[in-house]
Amino acid sequence: MLGKIRESFRHPFWQAIYLLVLAYLLFDFGIAYLPPLFGIRSAPVPNSVVFQFTITALVGILLYVSDNEEKWSKFKEPINAALVDADKRWIRIALIVVIPLAVGWTTYSRVRPSVAAPVQLRSIHPAPPRSISFRGGTIQLARLENPLRADGSTEEDYEAGMRVYYQNCLPCHGDLLDGNGHYAHGLNPLPLAFTDNGTIPQLTESFVFWRIAKGGPGLPVEGAPWNSAMPAWEPILSEDEIWAVIIFLYEQTGWTPRTWGEAGEGGGHE
Amino acid sequence: MLSFWDRRAEFVSLTLMAFIAACGGGGGGASGDSASGGSAEGTMAAVVDESTAATITGAVAFSGAPVEAKAIDMSEESVCADKYSMPPMTQRVVVNDNGTLRNVFIYVKEGLGDLTFPTPSEPVVLDQDGCRYHPHVFGVQVGQDITIKNSDGVLHNINSKPSENRGFNISQPVVMETTRSFRTPEIGIPLECDVHGWMQAYVSVVEHPYFAVTGEDGSFSLTPLPPGTYVIEAWHDVYGTATQEVTVGENEEAEIAFTFGDAAA
Amino acid sequence: MNKWPVFCLALSAFLVPTAGAAGQDVQAGQILYDKWCAGCHGFDGAGDGYAADYMLPRPRDFTLGIYQIRTTSNGSLPTDEDLVHVIDKGMPGTAMPGWEAKFSSSQINDVAAYIKTFSPFFEREGAPDPLEFGRQPRREGIAEGREFFEQIECFKCHGDAGRGDGPSAPTLQDDLDFPIRAADLTENWNFNGGGSVEDIYRRLRTGMDGSPMPSFSDLIDAQFMTEEQLWHVAQYVHSLSPEEGPTISDVIVARRFEGDLPASPNDSLWNQAEAFYIPMVGQIIADERWFAPSVDGLWVSAAHNDEQLALLIVWHDPSESPDPKWLEWQQSVAASMFPLLDSVGVTPLPDRLTVQFPTSIPTGRDRPYFLMGDARNPVYLWQWSSQGDVVPEATATGLGNVQPRRGESRTLASSAVWHQGEWRLQFGRSLATPDSEAELQFATGELIPIAFYAWDGSNGEQGSQRAVSSWYGIHLEQPTPPSVYLSPVIAMALTVGLGLLVVWRAQRREEG
Repeated sequence: MLGKIRESFRHPFWQAIYLLVLAYLLFDFGIAYLPPLFGIRSAPVPNSVVFQFTITALVGILLYVSDNEEKWSKFKEPINAALVDADKRWIRIALIVVIPLAVGWTTYSRVRPSVAAPVQLRSIHPAPPRSISFRGGTIQLARLENPLRADGSTEEDYEAGMRVYYQNCLPCHGDLLDGNGHYAHGLNPLPLAFTDNGTIPQLTESFVFWRIAKGGPGLPVEGAPWNSAMPAWEPILSEDEIWAVIIFLYEQTGWTPRTWGEAGEGGGHE
Repeated sequence: MLSFWDRRAEFVSLTLMAFIAACGGGGGGASGDSASGGSAEGTMAAVVDESTAATITGAVAFSGAPVEAKAIDMSEESVCADKYSMPPMTQRVVVNDNGTLRNVFIYVKEGLGDLTFPTPSEPVVLDQDGCRYHPHVFGVQVGQDITIKNSDGVLHNINSKPSENRGFNISQPVVMETTRSFRTPEIGIPLECDVHGWMQAYVSVVEHPYFAVTGEDGSFSLTPLPPGTYVIEAWHDVYGTATQEVTVGENEEAEIAFTFGDAAA
Repeated sequence: MNKWPVFCLALSAFLVPTAGAAGQDVQAGQILYDKWCAGCHGFDGAGDGYAADYMLPRPRDFTLGIYQIRTTSNGSLPTDEDLVHVIDKGMPGTAMPGWEAKFSSSQINDVAAYIKTFSPFFEREGAPDPLEFGRQPRREGIAEGREFFEQIECFKCHGDAGRGDGPSAPTLQDDLDFPIRAADLTENWNFNGGGSVEDIYRRLRTGMDGSPMPSFSDLIDAQFMTEEQLWHVAQYVHSLSPEEGPTISDVIVARRFEGDLPASPNDSLWNQAEAFYIPMVGQIIADERWFAPSVDGLWVSAAHNDEQLALLIVWHDPSESPDPKWLEWQQSVAASMFPLLDSVGVTPLPDRLTVQFPTSIPTGRDRPYFLMGDARNPVYLWQWSSQGDVVPEATATGLGNVQPRRGESRTLASSAVWHQGEWRLQFGRSLATPDSEAELQFATGELIPIAFYAWDGSNGEQGSQRAVSSWYGIHLEQPTPPSVYLSPVIAMALTVGLGLLVVWRAQRREEG
């Protein structure tokens, strides 16, 4: 028995089977353990990715077993035997029953009605307008800098911004500024996580001012304005309060705002 | 052996004298509501020379518009409601028939110097009966046990809310007794029952036995005090505090008066 | 760049004694505290930070030295481990998040050391000893726990079914006289100190200092009950909550019934329809805002029979408003929350619930604004009030801009029952109505946007001061089309054919 197994390691057909199973196990269970080795947080691997990787592995294995004529015909031996040998009759019948059953089940699970909500594609950082109205006036957004930084000191502005943040932004965006406040679980889409490097570090302060002042209702259609629970703060916060809370956001997270040199006219990233 | 019996005889006779002095000098049940009464006076004999002891007496007058007591709605707790033939009234401001104010805690705030007094071994009993605390206002000495008794047999929690002491919040769902004490002097610690929002008592913790709570005639008596100058404070849970300085000589009796009420506040 | 930490360091060198357990750095703790904790708990630790009026329960006042979540006896200070534990994990059901993902354990130790400097008790009292809790008995005693739950009268505050609706619940206050809820024992994911049997047992033994929750340890000392019996109470309380906390699904599936729909909120037919959890949060984005919503989630079930649609909405509310017994609560919540109102309602308010749809099923991605629509895109509302003082159907074009729909042809019906801290409300309407312009015409197989609003009148909620949800979708099941069964059969037949062909060819080649 053991001898037979050892022998099978040298047979291209069984080699191919073992490799394929090994590759699948590695993709499905192994990959998730890799990022933590480098101190990165891991996420579950989607099934579609596992499937793709396994197919790629299969192609590689087929290339390997067919690289010379002798190996290829040896590889085909057990398959041919299963198809024609008289003593393999039961294996043949089992395959003809099991494979169609699997195909039938897969088909059923694909066509059966399911009611998952369609993915709502929305543009996270849509292009801002060149200027906005604010409390009766007009603010030109292009090339606009945070006026509170002009005097060189942001200490008082940080404190003023802290007050604004804790009295208005905290329930959704959270103490940790990670978009996980005590209201976050009730919102869809989720509040923005300022700690995420895809958010405020990619934006100019002018862009952030626009988003705070005009909120969800001020988004263009591609930003799905009807869904966002981000209010327009224009009626509640003054211009200075908004600039102050922007200073708080950057100082608290340690990010620096994008400069106009990096951003171009839009002030956002594409 | 002999000296032991001598000391004991002296102790008993002094206690008896002090007791008589307290009843005689107080002007009729003055400290009747003072929960620590007899036992506290018994211990002070060891510290104070009876032959020269002085007394401070007085009364707390109420001024201003009479405050009407409100009936407590105990309908949620029939065990307690059934204990009353007349609707039970709130106890926060109780004005006596003679125009004095009940439930004022009077104590010596300053003037005892370095005198220290032993902690009475008798506990003070706080009874929960008919979903009310008895007494409503009382005093204890530092470290003196308070026996908290549930006579109702329904759930009470006793939630003390001190600021100088560590508090406690204990549950008594059946007829039972629990003992607690306070380690630091503090006046007017609220004791509340969260199950019955109307239940409130106030305990004051002092380092000596010179305290009293005004009762049905609004009077008080602090004795036997060593001759000296004292700051006497009166505390009421609605009207706050008032103090007076008074000097008493050997065997003297001084009388002081406090006034609480809307006009005084 | 940022001079703030340097400033704090300089200040703390003067003010803060360097005392602290080994390995704790009070100054480092202060820098972290001022940056991350002071916004709620205040720079002076008095629980009066910027956000204090914007949350209920309010942030802890550290100057009192009173802590809810401890392993020490009632009235004692917490251990360092207790403080670190709460900072690590946060307090579920409150605004306090867990910090363990952000800070190292030595940083959290530093913050705990700094927090202790706010109260003189920590120096005066010395280190407290944790209680011995022992281990949960192997034998589960839920029935016995229920008996003791009744004997020690937990229901006085928590209610007979545990939903925080006991007779004493309306008058509960914390040590600072702010209104405080009796915990809803059926939602252990919201328990401030954690929802496991061990957590519950600890709260029973230690009490939750600063709140009305007392300690039950004296009952063991008085030999009224044993530790094991108190463990059974904890097991019983734990059994009141579902095994798993709620999961949020984007879609409410309206089960297709052949024949009759459930006739009332308590109809057992409702057991055949799955209940979907909809989280609710305060309406804090338009004036007047509301930071203390009472309803934090709804369970929604739906059923239809191609003619009628029925919705069952179940939520916990300790009061059947309007209820004069809760008037004081209503006033004290309003008085302690932003916006601090001068005139607080003098009449008890009713409970309300509204279901929101678009006026027609959207064809593209476009939908009305989630908060009551806007001028361009109105919403269609089903309204219910415990006092019957709302028009059942309405359209709206924004918050405070509601147009009631009156008239003869209304087919919307609603009925509601309140029992032991739970509302069960059923709406029913025909899928189609005569006015297809303003009223949504339901269709099967579509994903129809749906959202909810809830008001707890006894909590002072009315008008814009309400709990709101995001948009969700409701899907009315269709009869399963025959193709669902046909396709697999065809696929299987093809595979069998192909298999036979391969075998046949291989065998022929072998022979040939």
